[in-house]
Amino acid sequence: MRLRYLAVSLVLFAGATAGAQAAGRPAPVAKSPELRIDFTRETLPNGLTVVYHVDHSTPVAAVLLWYNVGSKMEQAGKTGFAHLFEHMMFKGSKNVADGQHWALLEAAGGRAGADINGTTSWDRTNYFEQIPSNQLELALWLESDRMGTLTQTLTQEKLDNQREVVKNERRQSVDNQPYGTWVEKTEELLFPDDHPYHHSVIGSMTDLSNASVADVRNFFSTYYAPNNAVLVVAGDIDVPQAQALVRKYFAPIPRGPAAPPLARMSLPATVGREQRIVVEDQQAPAPAVYVAYRVPPAKDLRAPVVSLLGDIMGGGRSSRLYDALVRRQQVATSVAGFNFGLADGADMLVFQATGKPGASADSLERALLVELAGASSFTQPELERARASERFAFVDGLQTTGGFGGRADRLAEGWTFFRDPNHVNKILGEFDRITLADLNALAHERLVSTNRAILVYVPAKKPVAQTSPTRTP
Amino acid sequence: MLSSMIRGRRLTTTVALAMTLSAATMHAQTVQPPAPGPLRPYVFPSVEQFQLANGLKVILVEKHTLPIVEGRVMIDAGAMREPAAKNGLASLTGRLLSEGTGTMSGADIARAMEALGAQYSAGGGFSTSFADVVALKNVFPQAMALAARTVIAPSFPASEFSRVKNQALAGYQQAHARTSGLANDAFIRAAFDSTAPFSRPTNGNLTTIGALTRDDVVAWHSSMFAPSAATFLIVGDITPADARAVAQQAFGGWTATRAPLPPVVNAVRPSTGTRVILVDRPGSVQSTIIIGQPGFRATDPDYIPMVALNHVLGGGFSSRMNMNLREKHGYTYGAFSGLDLRPGAGAFRVSSEVRTNATDSALVEAVGEYRRIATEPVPATELQSMVNNLVSGFPNSVQSVQDLSGSIQGLIIWGLPLDFYTTYRERLSAVTPADLQQVASSKLTPNNVIVVVAGDLSKIEAPIRARNLGTVEVWDSNGTKLR
Repeated sequence: MRLRYLAVSLVLFAGATAGAQAAGRPAPVAKSPELRIDFTRETLPNGLTVVYHVDHSTPVAAVLLWYNVGSKMEQAGKTGFAHLFEHMMFKGSKNVADGQHWALLEAAGGRAGADINGTTSWDRTNYFEQIPSNQLELALWLESDRMGTLTQTLTQEKLDNQREVVKNERRQSVDNQPYGTWVEKTEELLFPDDHPYHHSVIGSMTDLSNASVADVRNFFSTYYAPNNAVLVVAGDIDVPQAQALVRKYFAPIPRGPAAPPLARMSLPATVGREQRIVVEDQQAPAPAVYVAYRVPPAKDLRAPVVSLLGDIMGGGRSSRLYDALVRRQQVATSVAGFNFGLADGADMLVFQATGKPGASADSLERALLVELAGASSFTQPELERARASERFAFVDGLQTTGGFGGRADRLAEGWTFFRDPNHVNKILGEFDRITLADLNALAHERLVSTNRAILVYVPAKKPVAQTSPTRTP
Repeated sequence: MLSSMIRGRRLTTTVALAMTLSAATMHAQTVQPPAPGPLRPYVFPSVEQFQLANGLKVILVEKHTLPIVEGRVMIDAGAMREPAAKNGLASLTGRLLSEGTGTMSGADIARAMEALGAQYSAGGGFSTSFADVVALKNVFPQAMALAARTVIAPSFPASEFSRVKNQALAGYQQAHARTSGLANDAFIRAAFDSTAPFSRPTNGNLTTIGALTRDDVVAWHSSMFAPSAATFLIVGDITPADARAVAQQAFGGWTATRAPLPPVVNAVRPSTGTRVILVDRPGSVQSTIIIGQPGFRATDPDYIPMVALNHVLGGGFSSRMNMNLREKHGYTYGAFSGLDLRPGAGAFRVSSEVRTNATDSALVEAVGEYRRIATEPVPATELQSMVNNLVSGFPNSVQSVQDLSGSIQGLIIWGLPLDFYTTYRERLSAVTPADLQQVASSKLTPNNVIVVVAGDLSKIEAPIRARNLGTVEVWDSNGTKLR
């Protein structure tokens, strides 16, 4: 399963990060349901692509923007900047005072986090509002004001405040969490030093400290232009009326210069060597092992094969890793298998196992590697289970109009990555076409020892927490 | 929106800003936000209820937007019903439901469910034990029938018992490796009497889990799991006739019986004066802070004003806690409040993860916000904005069958009427500042709250003591007072 929301969000939203979910088997009715997300698309003279999707089942409308900029566009010494910039987009613009973006949208009925948020990933930055449909104009006005005028009211004070917020976000998600550094360490190992995916979205504390107001202005003028974005207006809308509002608010925003070309993303199919690091983690109560492989990216035709491999090996309780490591050998208490869905050049497919407190990291690692070495000879029931799981997850995700991973998000993703909003209507068919031969071929090519990074987390010797009445601080 | 104090400071900032930017913005005209159009109607779906011959209550909510159905059987056999000495029994039993029924092993069940693409889970929470299926409608009856067998006739294989128990022990240790896990446990232990089920962690602790046997699990299941003590909730793309057929097929043959049990009492621990409880987690770069008090019920007559009060204090981004701790001071990524409702009595609390070197300052601000909402009137405009958020945002919050199901589960657990949501938005809209003041003065005791901080005590203990917020105690992770 691909993690659809491993992006870094402006506001914590508990439901957002998809866990690695189930795999499946031949269902008696193993057929994808007939579903179609209808849409119309237009391009404004300033280059803004707009997609409209109508659904009157609930009086809710969604406005969602994907800007074609992510952490992969960041320069050396400026890691974390795309995400820090995203935070600045909520600090007011010409006609919107600091705090008013939230105040207006929350008073209109948007829930912080689930309905109103911004998220940054390696490949794109998005902003969304899901509001009662009678408030559509408010959301369009707010998005257009910051697209057009963000830097007119920028101050050092606002930047300093959000820099602290982002540092706290990093502490909360990385530095203060057991195993919290695993994503950035995996990226560092699987991608070369000069590759845009080598560094994490949240960035380093040092680079965050160095970010300046001038950096924010430059980033805005480089990437935040209508011709570098797609706007989706979805839900309980009247299309001609929505088109008129979109023109009213977005058409006056001038086209920006073309975004600079992306650094070279392509990579050899495999890393060429095995890498292994041991991390002593002061907060970890038990060992954990992460094994990550370089695999085809989301834009590659084999992307569905990558997701299915993750499902079959580590997706659910019928997966090979769960069966072997958790049920039979009982060396692990939990396992997972998933990919990130990185768009360009290469993606990461990760298998993970957490051991028991006090148990040996070595035996956990050995057991995991043995199973991965046997990742071949997949069976039809395994494939059908994985497909059923993907099928369900896809339909499940379409239940919401906007917000994280809803219909509007799928349409924007299709345009940004494939120049095709209709991509959403092709996804189930792509999964349906995958064969055992596809699975075995990709596993044979990529799940090899010379294409992986192994991270072994061991609980570090640490200062003992105060547990006995005789101890004094 | 914000308090007069904060608003005053912000105005100052804005004025200074306007002056520095005046040259650049002189030609700029500020535009007012567009006004909303006419509100489109939203009607909460009707909730249908019927009963099987064996006493099982069935509740159906139809939602036909996508071909998805959720079915959840909820049994009044949550951790709140277990003896203190067997803390963790309901949770462990719940985990073991999925490990075998009839001739099927746990692996067989997993393969069968995943072959259907059904999301199946079983467990024991605080209020109920449950099995849950979310699936595409064409496979839902089949998946639900299997899930029902795991509830009615689990085999609890001895070979799986020790493995799952070890997983439960590991889960406890993972949860308590985080400051949030340490702080939450300390809070409920301090807030509730030791006889109260809510004073204990739902999943048990290392000692109590370690002592549980397979016999305990078998006895718990046979004495507590019965249709007369259960509710089967179906939400999604299914007709009433099909729902009846699924309920009958899955649960019609369930014959277990059980005497009704009295309501659960969660006795509150009496206290006079604020207690500050510190729990050590060396090396933490952030601390979890919690401030709150026990004793709130969804069935309280002033529940609706309390929901509004919670939202003003910490239910959204623009709420006081977040605007203060995050947007004004940069102490945190987010600060919130919440009503944790439980049968008997729940708790109200504010919480945040704050950076270590600002822990004492963040505590002072959070306690200050708690005191302010308890003692000062809330401006009508601020109340209206935050209530609008809940009222107008309600349709967004029940778009998926899982969210819709979740909203009904709360009614069942808290003992609210099933038509609660038909008047919920109107009742919220009617809350006045005077109602808020009434509930604040009768329910909130800002000079008598529980403050819990979990973090690196070598760095935060002395600064916190210097703030004189209340009587300071240091506890270990098991709730034993060290000093």
